[in-house]
Amino acid sequence: MAERPEDLNLPNAVVTRIIKEAIPDGVNVSKEARLAISKAASVFVLYATSCSNNFALKAKRKTINAADVISAMEDMEFEQFVEPLQECLEAFRNEQKGKREASQQRKKDREQSGNSAGDSTLEDSNIDLTAEDADEEKSAAVQGAGDADSDVMIINDDSGSSVDNGAEEG
Amino acid sequence: MADKERVPNTLPLSRVKTIMKSSPDVSSISQEALHATGKATELFIQALAKVSLEKSKSDQTELSYNDLAEIVNSEETLQFLQDIIPRKIKMSEYYDLIKEEEEEDEENEEDGS
Repeated sequence: MAERPEDLNLPNAVVTRIIKEAIPDGVNVSKEARLAISKAASVFVLYATSCSNNFALKAKRKTINAADVISAMEDMEFEQFVEPLQECLEAFRNEQKGKREASQQRKKDREQSGNSAGDSTLEDSNIDLTAEDADEEKSAAVQGAGDADSDVMIINDDSGSSVDNGAEEG
Repeated sequence: MADKERVPNTLPLSRVKTIMKSSPDVSSISQEALHATGKATELFIQALAKVSLEKSKSDQTELSYNDLAEIVNSEETLQFLQDIIPRKIKMSEYYDLIKEEEEEDEENEEDGS
């Protein structure tokens, strides 16, 4: 929730950069104009939210979704935003899907390497994924060695070393 | 430039969300809707700056407050900004406006009695 009035402003540095992207190089934007655009952007968010919320309420939903925002743009007569927004949403969805799949894959990998020491022939596995796999393979291999011949000292494996200690004492 | 790398190119969505939540009757906002509103706001800022400069009758090398006020008060789709970015008026014009209003009030009072 907004506690201070300035919490409802958008950061000036970012707004200025966005303005600069839209206008030719060398065009100066007066401080007054920048402030006015920044305030206008905040009001735009409020206006768009209110319109989107109306669409959500009409559909008897409590949560505003992406389709409501797109409908709001049409309602506000900013149809020219609809197409770029849909493209942006598509990219966002793919990104989220990619993230989900990556985390699921990671989970699956962890389970697999726990059972049979590392079976990672995944084409799209990323760097920290393979690093994790390697670690797990190593610890699994170490554990196996500890089970096989217990008179070998293994320092970096807790269960292995405790077995060894018992063997030496006895 | 180091400065360019430090300032991100997109509006902070946490801030956008705060503004959205300050709107009455809004209970919850999906991630996608938040993302879309942030992007729409960026598009809006660019469109406003661009159209103000294009329609500007004065200096094309500077975007001034008056350029914005002119566009806000002439474009129908920007009507919602009229209170935020009003046209600047001279003090003498302001006095005239006040005087006019007073006269109207007096007339109304006379009509009422």
